[in-house]
Amino acid sequence: MFRPALIIARKDLRLIAGCRGGLLQALLLGLLLIFMFSLSLAPGQVMSPQGAATVFWMSSAFCQVIIFSMLHSNEEENGQMLGLLLSPVPLQGIWLGKALAGACLLLLAQLVFLPAVFVFLRQEAGALWPVGLVSIAVGDIGIAALGALLGALARGRSAREALFSVIIFPLLTPIFLGGIRIGAAALGPGADGDYADWLGISLAFDAIFTAAALFLFPLVYNVDD
Amino acid sequence: MLLRLRDISRFYGHRPVFKNVSLDLRRGSVTLLCGPNGAGKSTLLKIVAGLIKPSEGEVIIPDDEAPDIGYLDHRTFIYPTLSALENLRFWADLRGAPSADKDILPVLERMGLSDFAGEPAGLFSRGMAQRLNLARVFMQRPDLLLLDEPSNGLDKASLALLRAEIKKAGEDGACIVWITHSPDQDKVCADEIALLDKGALRVYPAALPLPVAEPAHGI
Repeated sequence: MFRPALIIARKDLRLIAGCRGGLLQALLLGLLLIFMFSLSLAPGQVMSPQGAATVFWMSSAFCQVIIFSMLHSNEEENGQMLGLLLSPVPLQGIWLGKALAGACLLLLAQLVFLPAVFVFLRQEAGALWPVGLVSIAVGDIGIAALGALLGALARGRSAREALFSVIIFPLLTPIFLGGIRIGAAALGPGADGDYADWLGISLAFDAIFTAAALFLFPLVYNVDD
Repeated sequence: MLLRLRDISRFYGHRPVFKNVSLDLRRGSVTLLCGPNGAGKSTLLKIVAGLIKPSEGEVIIPDDEAPDIGYLDHRTFIYPTLSALENLRFWADLRGAPSADKDILPVLERMGLSDFAGEPAGLFSRGMAQRLNLARVFMQRPDLLLLDEPSNGLDKASLALLRAEIKKAGEDGACIVWITHSPDQDKVCADEIALLDKGALRVYPAALPLPVAEPAHGI
């Protein structure tokens, strides 16, 4: 399962790299959100750490919709999905490949969003910044697990983007809340005591989403009759 | 025997597409699958490929080892931003097949695409893209080759190449099921002709004159 997943992820990353508009569109959307929220601040005003963390995860959320939509659209244009289904690869390997590629792209986007949050929303790293970075990685695992699963649900790009946003945002709420709470602790001056609980909750949802995806992906990834 | 279809039926809701279809697929045989539009040829092919399940009946694999399946239809399966070489390497890697340049370039040469090996496949004409698709399938050397009107939109040269490769695959022992709307032209490669019409499948030796299928109604 891991070898084909790596092959699929590598191919997807090459495809996205070769498509000029793809990731750029996702990055611009996220950056635009951060910039727009920065306009709400009065000159010299600093956004609260919780607000900044919320904007960061909102940008990540919208960005991942575009990312997973692109990753699944890649398999529809010329019927490649049929080729994947007929290859001797466990279907979970396809899911894992999409999840790996999606996680890499999301992480890449967040590497751009994070400095933008510091600059535009005037944040400073607190003592817990390493925990903040860990929470981003933990959150991305859950987002990638669910994104790779739900992206396979709808056929056609416009249908996928509409359905995807409606389904994935409510499901990802615990991950986002965890990310926001830990992010607030990481950006704030004092440590918020419950960040460890939120990290645990995020990890638990990562496990649930991964297990659900491994079970459900073979049921949703199939050809139309 | 590679694969055996026994009393296969497929329904859309309560409406049958075809009923109690049986077909034996042997190694090295070429079967043309013909019939009017809407008769369920592509559906039957997808059942053979294991992509969809029959509503009734069973697909028996006598050897207990699932055959390696190659599938070719009017779609090209290519990733436009990858080069021809990268496309073939991806599909070979996925199957765990050799994917070095020395393994892929001779296949591209055979398909007349060696000069375009490094070109993005998205720049290819329809005929070139389908030849790249042919390279993907024939590099695979499948046990069971399923062809769903692969000749759509091909020029004469590409069509001749397709027929030659199908013939070669049959000689190499592959079992081939080929959906075609030109049975008169394609039957030179075939052993038998399976006519799917009005929900039933009838099989004739390819040497016999072709039966005439009536257009499907109400489907």
